[in-house]
Amino acid sequence: MNPNKDIRVWLARIFLTVMAIVMLLPMVQTFLYSFSSIPEMKSYMKTRGNREETEWMDPHLSPHMISLGQYEQILIKDNTVLQYFINSVVYAAAILAGQALVLPALAYGLSKFRFHGREGIFFLIVMLMLLPFQVTMVPNVLTLRVMGLLNTQWAVILPMWFAPFYVFLLRQYMITLPDELLEASSMDGAGPFRSFLWIVIPVCQPVIGAAAALSFAENWNLVEQPLTYLSRKPELMPLSTVFNQLAGENTGFEFAGAALYILPAMLVYFFFQKDILSGIQLTEMK
Amino acid sequence: MYKKFRQALPFLLPGMAGLLLFYGIPFIGGIWYSVTDGSVKNEFVGLNNYTSVWQNPMFQLGLRNALELSLICAPLLFLLSFLLAAGLHRMRPAGAFFRSSVLMPYLMPSSAVLIIWLLWFDYGGPVNRILTALGGQRIDWLLGAELRIPVILLFLWKNLGFCVIVFLSALQSIPESLYEYATLEGASFRKQTFSITLPLVVPSAFLVAILSFVSAFRIFKEIYFIGGAYPKDPLYTLQNYMSNMYNKLNYQNVTAAAYMFALIVFLLFGLLFLSQRTALKRLNGEG
Repeated sequence: MNPNKDIRVWLARIFLTVMAIVMLLPMVQTFLYSFSSIPEMKSYMKTRGNREETEWMDPHLSPHMISLGQYEQILIKDNTVLQYFINSVVYAAAILAGQALVLPALAYGLSKFRFHGREGIFFLIVMLMLLPFQVTMVPNVLTLRVMGLLNTQWAVILPMWFAPFYVFLLRQYMITLPDELLEASSMDGAGPFRSFLWIVIPVCQPVIGAAAALSFAENWNLVEQPLTYLSRKPELMPLSTVFNQLAGENTGFEFAGAALYILPAMLVYFFFQKDILSGIQLTEMK
Repeated sequence: MYKKFRQALPFLLPGMAGLLLFYGIPFIGGIWYSVTDGSVKNEFVGLNNYTSVWQNPMFQLGLRNALELSLICAPLLFLLSFLLAAGLHRMRPAGAFFRSSVLMPYLMPSSAVLIIWLLWFDYGGPVNRILTALGGQRIDWLLGAELRIPVILLFLWKNLGFCVIVFLSALQSIPESLYEYATLEGASFRKQTFSITLPLVVPSAFLVAILSFVSAFRIFKEIYFIGGAYPKDPLYTLQNYMSNMYNKLNYQNVTAAAYMFALIVFLLFGLLFLSQRTALKRLNGEG
């Protein structure tokens, strides 16, 4: 009907297709390479960094021979990667558990109660959210030092329990809930606590799911906190901080390690995909 | 809905206590460090720490790089995510696969993807192959002055998803009937964009702009992945300076640097806020 519109739709399609390939390729390639044998990967990774103008790296689209050697190495023979992986699991689980106890309640208190200073507190939390880690690490370090928690796992876990971004996310959703919902439950004799557990939490399930997924993604990719707070305890580092070392040492099993690390994130994505799309309602700062 | 502070208290208490303990109190207490000299006598030195940090060449390099990188990354993130969201919005409902492919990296650990990045941007790797096939010259991505480009691209790969969702939900909240009515009235595509889409998207756009800057300040992750813990000059950011001072237990300089950086960050967000207000005024004035 309208040739201009047709061209626009096709341009959008081409742009999106190219983007989709680029966005997905790193994961696909990691999984493919994780099934090649250790010697094959070692010799392939050795061809990196060749500065001869005539030399190119092999395109190496897929493994020459399917092998589980890399997985055998990291899961059974040598447990260094596995140990770091377990550290990551401990951090992610401990942070999520603490956040679940603290943050939804705080967001509820800041959205469904009317009291003096509510907006002021929320404003301070938003300001805190805007500050980069280089700034917030300083107050955190001062407290952790007084508490004697530096160079322990708690140094990474505790400050994350009060991450302002998720308060913001949850509060923006809760503020849109109609008051009638809570009025109806008070008529039935429920106090603020019962209403929170039986009405607000179930209704907020999409945003809680989205916040949990986003928080997991952040906790699974920790870098700044462990590097700063655990500088004297390298054995407590999560796996996310050691990949560039693995790639540098040319161990031959770095792709299985990466695949192992991507897999849980992928499961979380597929499980919470719907919540992320419907739970994030940040159309306005109010 | 509930009107008494007493009722809110049990819900606020754990969170507020933690925020005060880890941020509020030390943030104010830290001022003490920034105005004393840290010696045995711990004398009051006024703003000396601030001036000495401000004049330190490594602080200046770190601050300049941090600001440069965020002024490159945040607008890129903003524009690309708007284009992607507009494209995805046009494609619905067949766009589920494309939407997934754009969102998924936001949940993926970029730490695990860095190995692929190092391969792609190798001197003999696929990116340079494509470049030469297009008639260009090979570029020394991982060692030369272009070191920032792979870092920025890894950052964009990882962070696009979230901004796309925020834009997408804003676009989807505009009722289709508005466009239908405008088309009936004979409004052109351009007129519709300026009088319907833009004014309704500006509040979200402001939020995305802010979130873009918030995430751009976190580019240290990607720098560490590609440049290591002791990166070359083009990638040396404030985080490296702070870690360095922190490892030397120089709390005077760490706190002074943090407060100055916080001030700069708030100035930047203040500017963003002002520009949103003028943009809204102008759009409302037109329509």
